[in-house]
Amino acid sequence: MAYRIQRLPSSTPLIAFAARVIAVVLALLVTALILAVTGHNPVELAGEVLSSSLFDSFGLQDLGVIFMPLMLTGLSVAIGQQIGAWNIGAEGQFYAGAFAATAIGLFIPAPVWLSLILMGVGGFAAGAIWILVPTLAKAYADVSELISTLLLNFVAALLVYYVATGPWHDRMTNSATPKVPAEIPEFWGAIHWGFPVAILLAIVLALVLSNTKWGYEVRLSGSNPSAAKYAGIPVRRHLIMVMLLSGAIAGFAGMLEVAGTVHRLQGGISNNYGYIGIMVAVLARGSLVGVIFTGAFMAFIQNSGIILQTQGLTTSAVLAMTGLILFLTAIGEELSYYRVTRDRV
Amino acid sequence: MQDEIPAAASSPGTPPRVYLKGIAKYFPGVIANENVDIEVLPGEIHALLGENGAGKSTLMNILTGIYQPDAGEIIIDGYARQFASPVQAIAAGIGMVHQHFKLVQAFTVAENIHLGWDETPKRTSAAVLEARTAELAKAFNLQVKPGARVSDLSTGEQQRVEILRVLSRNAKILILDEPTAVLTPAEARELFRALRDFVSRGNSVIFISHKLDEVLEISDRISILRQGRKIATEKSADCDPRMLAKLMVGRDIVLDDMRGRAASAKPMSAEPVLKVSGLSALGDNGLPALHDMKFSLRAGEILGIAGVAGNGQRELSQVLTGVRPASSGEIVIAGKTMAGLKAGEFAAAGIGHIPEDRLHSGLAPAMSITTNAVMREYDRPPVAKGGFFSRDAAGKLAREIASAADVAIPDFAMPIRNLSGGNQQRLVARREMRIADRILVAAYPSRGLDVGAINTMLRYIVELRDAGAGVILISEELEELLNLSDRIAVLYEGRIMGILDNDNLDIDEIGLMMGGRVHATAGEAA
Repeated sequence: MAYRIQRLPSSTPLIAFAARVIAVVLALLVTALILAVTGHNPVELAGEVLSSSLFDSFGLQDLGVIFMPLMLTGLSVAIGQQIGAWNIGAEGQFYAGAFAATAIGLFIPAPVWLSLILMGVGGFAAGAIWILVPTLAKAYADVSELISTLLLNFVAALLVYYVATGPWHDRMTNSATPKVPAEIPEFWGAIHWGFPVAILLAIVLALVLSNTKWGYEVRLSGSNPSAAKYAGIPVRRHLIMVMLLSGAIAGFAGMLEVAGTVHRLQGGISNNYGYIGIMVAVLARGSLVGVIFTGAFMAFIQNSGIILQTQGLTTSAVLAMTGLILFLTAIGEELSYYRVTRDRV
Repeated sequence: MQDEIPAAASSPGTPPRVYLKGIAKYFPGVIANENVDIEVLPGEIHALLGENGAGKSTLMNILTGIYQPDAGEIIIDGYARQFASPVQAIAAGIGMVHQHFKLVQAFTVAENIHLGWDETPKRTSAAVLEARTAELAKAFNLQVKPGARVSDLSTGEQQRVEILRVLSRNAKILILDEPTAVLTPAEARELFRALRDFVSRGNSVIFISHKLDEVLEISDRISILRQGRKIATEKSADCDPRMLAKLMVGRDIVLDDMRGRAASAKPMSAEPVLKVSGLSALGDNGLPALHDMKFSLRAGEILGIAGVAGNGQRELSQVLTGVRPASSGEIVIAGKTMAGLKAGEFAAAGIGHIPEDRLHSGLAPAMSITTNAVMREYDRPPVAKGGFFSRDAAGKLAREIASAADVAIPDFAMPIRNLSGGNQQRLVARREMRIADRILVAAYPSRGLDVGAINTMLRYIVELRDAGAGVILISEELEELLNLSDRIAVLYEGRIMGILDNDNLDIDEIGLMMGGRVHATAGEAA
């Protein structure tokens, strides 16, 4: 009897899912091991994390507050992937959306409901504008969107930092703008009505992609542009539209953060949500509905990090943990193509 | 090279060069190979015949280390070997020229030849590599342009680079997967001479082909595979094409003249459905690829396009279907000029297109069979209702196309790349024929298909012609063109050398035109 490892040309969804679960469990085990070696009690810490997040009303609300922006930035990246574009700039578009929403909220006097609508539109528009140049460069000159979207993140982050500490700063805090008067109403503790809107957005977009002519054309264009051209589909037009949509969703996430959670603009408001959104999309394997679940999972990891910090751990430990998960997931993805077979000799 | 082994070294006691013993390979739900025994002797050209999906490619992938067998042994020169990777197989003297080329598109020919080769000089320059390549090309009598980028080459030229790369590695066992599909008869003869020369030094060739005449001409022995199992190994001298075809598909195949119309067929129209005049177009490299073309096609007529691959066939099929813009000239379809219109409008005007390279331009390999099957009709009822895409209707249409194409599909949600090449082609053909109300542009519709499937494919085309569509049939098989076409145009370097009525045609005349001679009485015969 001889055992042999072989690579198959394709993997089944079940095995791919299993590989993901195993990767996550392994990452958590490795983390626990390192915590144990460095003199912590991993079981106690895990209990602390669970009891103060999943089994606690305030904990669940904290989770939701992190979940919403993460799911939206994940959705933004996942939408881009549908047309074959990697939007690494959700971070910058998030800032741009937050910036525009704050400007509208602070400087355009209007009743709250109208102000919120204007802020929402402004968030969408600002996100789309922030990805406009990379989009046109990719569509007309074949410039890689990976670099162009990434670089604009730094521009957006610094711009927000500048206005929040400079021209728009609040005399009381000096590090943020004054409070934005329009607030999205909350329905459960810290959870506001942006939450169901965000989930609905993911579901609607998933349905649009799988059940409309436009969605079919987008998916085909993303999978093989030359086949799409052959089928008479305007690939460039779809690329531009979908990339702008991707930016708009990240911008909307920024607007919700200002109007629903933070209520003012401050440096670092994005909290790396744009970058972690890339992980959310990767874990969801390009599924828009999947983003809801992987977004929740990543929110749990982020929230656990915050709880662990209160227990004396550093932020680096949390970063290492998320890195481990992504790393092991990538390995699991590749390994899901392999089978162990037994020779019949 | 083992020059001490005499030619025709099949003397008793000499172990076979390759002995595949009881090879089996299983994929989920599929028996790719089972209990296959094949011996390839030194000094022998051994042909491997079989329909699409008969297991030829899997067997060769096992021999070249791409797959590991689930059972059985690979014995090379008397020693059992295991190849964990293609690198080990190459080191053991096994070289393969694949049907889908394994070339780096962005590299030059010379760079591709020298890539991953330990004889490549350590410190070198483009000029040195190109000079070495030119020398190799001369030695093996394969014309290549050493300095050209592979992405700028035609399919035929790319294959020559592939063959040259393997030959230059001093392979003892050369595996060729349909090597002549893109060569002219003259080039094929050159290749055959090179292969004869190669085996006369005690080397072996495994020759995969669907062309029965060619197999009989070149090979010493023939092994036939059917449904993953070996059916027979015969001496070529004892075989004839009819018998081989029967062994291969398990039934009699008749390839014959299909020009006769049934009484029920629509007659050829008086007015042409397609008129092309002064048509020129640029190739991918920005240089003119088509020059001042003029021809017409009637409804119910088949116009064959003969010529060696890479003489403008690809560009012609793309311009006629709106995928590539014309640089000048006019295309008039059913009285309407198509200037400035794109592929979508051409398709809407009733023009189907079986592209040359189906996997890259006719399909999205990673997407589902359903998605690919509905590519031409997703925008109209029943699949599209308003702006909506009905997944039920799409599934139904996909099943309809699959059953018309006679392809059994276990799961319509699986990526279409999991289907065999032959089945992909049948689905594309059936999909295109559904929209080809006026014209079908078929580029190499039977390339890579086995005899049975070719016959089916040609009958599809005849069926379409009889229903009143005009057909542009681009093919490298003269026999196929002669069997089907009402007229034959010969393409050479982007020009039409002449259009001949298919009536007592002199094949040598066509051959000359394919080589660049203008027909004495050539003219527009419509």
